[in-house]
Amino acid sequence: MLDLALTGFVACFLLIGFRRPFLWVLCYLYVDIVSPQIISWGILSHLPISLMAFAAAFLGWLALDDKRDSRFTLRQGILAALLLYCGYTTWAAVYPAAAAEKWAWVWKALVFAIFLPFTLRTRLRIEAVALVMVLAASALIIDGGLKTAGGGGGYGTLRIFVENNTGLYEGSILSAVAISIIPIVLWLVKYGTVFPADWRVYLFAGALIFACSLIPVGTQARTGLVCLGVLCLFYLRTAKHKVLIAGGMALAVVVAVPFLPQAFLARMGTIENHEADQSASTRLGVWKWTWGYVKEHPLGGGFVVNQSSRVEYDTVAKVTVDGSTEIRRAHVVEEGRAFHSSYFEMLGEQGFPGFGLWILLQLTGLIQMEQIRRRWKKRTGPDEAWVAPLAVALQLAQVVYLIGSLFVGIAFQPFILMLIGLQCGLWSYLKRIDVRQAQVPIRTIRPVVGMV
Amino acid sequence: MVDILALAVSHGLLALAAWRLLLRPDLDVETPGEGAVPEPRPLKRNGPVRREMRWPGKDGDDA
Repeated sequence: MLDLALTGFVACFLLIGFRRPFLWVLCYLYVDIVSPQIISWGILSHLPISLMAFAAAFLGWLALDDKRDSRFTLRQGILAALLLYCGYTTWAAVYPAAAAEKWAWVWKALVFAIFLPFTLRTRLRIEAVALVMVLAASALIIDGGLKTAGGGGGYGTLRIFVENNTGLYEGSILSAVAISIIPIVLWLVKYGTVFPADWRVYLFAGALIFACSLIPVGTQARTGLVCLGVLCLFYLRTAKHKVLIAGGMALAVVVAVPFLPQAFLARMGTIENHEADQSASTRLGVWKWTWGYVKEHPLGGGFVVNQSSRVEYDTVAKVTVDGSTEIRRAHVVEEGRAFHSSYFEMLGEQGFPGFGLWILLQLTGLIQMEQIRRRWKKRTGPDEAWVAPLAVALQLAQVVYLIGSLFVGIAFQPFILMLIGLQCGLWSYLKRIDVRQAQVPIRTIRPVVGMV
Repeated sequence: MVDILALAVSHGLLALAAWRLLLRPDLDVETPGEGAVPEPRPLKRNGPVRREMRWPGKDGDDA
């Protein structure tokens, strides 16, 4: 039954695209985020629906969409350069077969991020992309949130729909993404036109934000907790009622702590006391290894070069038994561990050139969103007020991602690349309407002058 | 059960959003400067003013 419903949903999504080809772009976003082929076990799991949706979106745009407003922006150029460089490192990879496996999804995510801004010609399209990204991610977040509220979860054990550890189904990645979409949810509530604000929208958004905050608890991913803290701090930067909101946040923490599971509190305690924690020590060890590797191989070793990593360290734990404190030291040797950081992932896999391109991509995003915020924050007309808050929301989402990236290897996470595509689309769209608005007053003022 | 609920809520809203987008003309075409700069309204007059010269017999009423 579930299989049939999901198949029907995807089929209907693809069919309505014949009426409005832009809906195929939204269909691809949905398929890439939810991955219904993972949840389904029937027809969908045997069809290349991701490829079908991408082909429909691209061909629909190529054949039927208006391309007069499409512009190639600087950041799309950076994405294209990164794509080419990743192609080169895959060709010269230390582990060619394993690197080709990762390349198979990375190039698609990069190509889609380059393509997405071309389609974002109207304000409604920008909103639609943000809405579909949030609603698609909400499928996983609501599931994870409900299971956490019901007492389920645990590090690496929160099962969302199926036993799977790829993409957004991985706990740490989902918690970083769940926190990063909170500002976008708030923007959609206030400025959304597809679902204009009423009590139902407030209710759903409130429940969704609560579920987003529960994901770090359910997955016990420390990354999520750090992301949540950073989001709160940065949210205050642009908020109007800073003291009130800060007070509300403090109150929420005080109220929430007694309800948090003991296992979660114990795990979060290891953020401070990382010496006793093997997972944290492995990270530090892998980062040290990566730095040594990239100094010897400045062009990087290609995807999954971390398979050759070897980490040795001692964990130190203080154990107090009957009043006497004992220091226990254990020697650990690990091989082939993950990077546990997007920055080191880029350094190790793509070397200094790839790392430079990636950082440039992120920094230009932060700068462009800040420029939009400053330029548009005083424009409060009914059709302009949405711009500056959206730039702030996309900037906040990116900041949260960049902080989460310190501890998780999500440099090429498709969801984040979609956000970057959305930023490029917004930047390009505003450039166009700025030019138009500069022209419009000349046309409209003339008749007024004539009548006086 | 939780899985079904999460899928039903999110997919229901996605379907509703897609349906609403399907019916919105501004998805594909946005008129330049739409709403950003409102069109000026023509000045109102109290009553009609006739400015043309009238000649007897021209209106056809004495035909």
